[in-house]
Amino acid sequence: MKVQGKKVILAILTFCLSLFVLFSIQPTHQTAYAADQSLQRIKQKGTIVMATSPDYPPYEFEVQKNGKSQIVGMDVDIMKKVAKDLGVKLVIKSMSFDSVLVAVETGKADVAMSGINPTPSRRQSVDFSEIYYNGGQSFLINKTDVAKYKNQSALAHKKIGAQTGTLQYNLAKSKIPGATVKGMDKNTDLVLALKTHKVDALGIETPSAEAYIKNDPDLAMFKSSYHLNKNETGSAMALKKGSGTLVAAINKSIDQIKQQHLANQYLADAGKYMKVNTHNTSMWHYRSYFLKGVEYTLIISAISVIFGVLLGTILALMRFSKSKILHAIAVAYIEFVRGTPLMVQVLFVYFGVGIIINLPALLSGIIAVSLNSGAYVAEIIRGGINSVDKGQTEASASLGLTKGDSMRYVILPQALKNIWPALGNEFVSLIKESSIVSIIGVTDLIYQLNIVRADTYRGVMPVFVAMIIYFIITFILTRVLNYYEGRMKHAR
Amino acid sequence: MPDKPLIKVDKLEKKFGDNEVLKEIDGTVMAGQVICVIGPSGSGKSTFLRCLNLLEHPTGGKVYFEGKDTETFTESELTTLRERMGMVFQSFNLFPNLTVLENLKLAPMRVKKMSDQEAADKAMSLLKRVGLEEKADVYPASLSGGQQQRVAIARALAMDPEVLLFDEPTSALDPEMVGEVLAVMKGLAESGMTMVVVTHEMGFAREVADEVWFMADGYILEKNKPDDMFNHPQNERAKDFISKIIGQ
Repeated sequence: MKVQGKKVILAILTFCLSLFVLFSIQPTHQTAYAADQSLQRIKQKGTIVMATSPDYPPYEFEVQKNGKSQIVGMDVDIMKKVAKDLGVKLVIKSMSFDSVLVAVETGKADVAMSGINPTPSRRQSVDFSEIYYNGGQSFLINKTDVAKYKNQSALAHKKIGAQTGTLQYNLAKSKIPGATVKGMDKNTDLVLALKTHKVDALGIETPSAEAYIKNDPDLAMFKSSYHLNKNETGSAMALKKGSGTLVAAINKSIDQIKQQHLANQYLADAGKYMKVNTHNTSMWHYRSYFLKGVEYTLIISAISVIFGVLLGTILALMRFSKSKILHAIAVAYIEFVRGTPLMVQVLFVYFGVGIIINLPALLSGIIAVSLNSGAYVAEIIRGGINSVDKGQTEASASLGLTKGDSMRYVILPQALKNIWPALGNEFVSLIKESSIVSIIGVTDLIYQLNIVRADTYRGVMPVFVAMIIYFIITFILTRVLNYYEGRMKHAR
Repeated sequence: MPDKPLIKVDKLEKKFGDNEVLKEIDGTVMAGQVICVIGPSGSGKSTFLRCLNLLEHPTGGKVYFEGKDTETFTESELTTLRERMGMVFQSFNLFPNLTVLENLKLAPMRVKKMSDQEAADKAMSLLKRVGLEEKADVYPASLSGGQQQRVAIARALAMDPEVLLFDEPTSALDPEMVGEVLAVMKGLAESGMTMVVVTHEMGFAREVADEVWFMADGYILEKNKPDDMFNHPQNERAKDFISKIIGQ
């Protein structure tokens, strides 16, 4: 290892540098090329792809319609009108809110629409349409606190919750004197924090606040008294930089929506869907969501386990190879993958590699999880090979077996038996960690969990259900692995 | 009876770091000969044996097999060399993941490309020869040490080697099992197999060997006929060693 140290470091650095070069050149080149052909491109394509995070009623959320889940809400209705005005078909891609802006930057979607506020910092990376809706800012509080918090000034020096990275978060931080602002990713989590008195009030858009008090008798709200610039506080659509012609076309539709006051009608329609969703909030009623989640979680896990083991075996053999280059590549790969978070790898494969090849979310998720698992499996297998007695290699050599045959028929089968428990651990953790793919919109169990939480306004129960489901899956897997472990013992 | 040199060793040296294990070893093994290598522990006997089939690579001198310098061998020639030079280890080294029959079939099928049936037939006849045909379908772990070593010998024979190297084949066995293994080895010697045996079994060496080599401190200090070696050793160290062992 010590002799190889320098080479390995060099290989890692080369790897990182080539990634950096690859991804610093490609996007600029594309943006320049795409400039101002944006409208023409959409019309040629015949479709407009909208990225959204459907856990934000009434803007966007999922409903069951004729047994199929569908994304609805005010944003969807507005976008439908835009698509109709452009004469193209609307395609909706769902993903986590963190990912929607990246999706338009990297060309995964044509427009991001998810109740997005066009803040100055966001304007640096994307183009925005006109504001299509300005619901205003409100605060959610517990009903028991109505007397205590009558208006915004009563919130001074209190704890205020808001979605991280949103306008509400920045406003609470800068405009409420002495307030401690607690940021979380999802409104469902924030409402839970409010109800358990971890925060005193919640900064939230008025339409969302109204939806919450309609569905939860324990909550109350009041409107904020911020003085706000209307161009920054409403919701707008985000598009890739340099989409001037497309933005102009979309703005025409938005003007019509404003003149005809269509937004209020869309909101009312969304309200009807929400009633359908909250009519029956038992988890059993939402079983199809969970089932679909289980299906995807199992698909991702099963395929990733297979490819992870294949890749891991190859990497482990490369580490034992006499070729210094193969050895260095394997070490560099393993160190790099183990040294970076899976979440970043998932985002990288979907958005980063997506610049070159347009991979669907599910495939990206499977690739990222497999590549990640391969690195860990490689180390497990390496340990297993080292654990096989040296006499076995010598005995195979003395019989004239080639190194490959010796590995395949003698060493690996014994190594596999030794590492079976460790490999089992890796499979179990892979099932759990694969949940990270929900951020790119793969409809796995965690993704469905967030949808159900948003739809039902129930914060805890869906989490509990998902927990039980994960446990059942991993428990069954553990039993199966133990069964095979027992059989291998028997064979000796 | 012995006519042509099968293995010739010329000024063989082996160092592990600064530790010189083998020094200026010369020797010739003729086809059909049985050589027993004796000597105190740590004298380099096993290392010498492992240098013959290049499990250890010599750091000096030459090993010739059928007149060819093994140092110049390519990877595939090396594999062929080992295929023709069977080895039996102190700790048996059977493959625990395979049945007895599969242990015997693996190399003939993979290396000699025998068919499954051919390899199985050959394996069964060899198991019969070592008296273990009824154990064909069990895993090695369920056999006694003596049985395992007999299977290991059969496994080495399955490749039809021209010479068999034995590395203290009975040292890891319970005393009551030594006899069965030595009996198999004696039978092999009588059938004309060329053998190099590192052993502490002086009775076996005296009875079966054509020549006994005495090693100490990395040198071969004496080569002699068994009777001469055990009755009138010339070298002082050999005298001392033999009197201690036989004297008991």
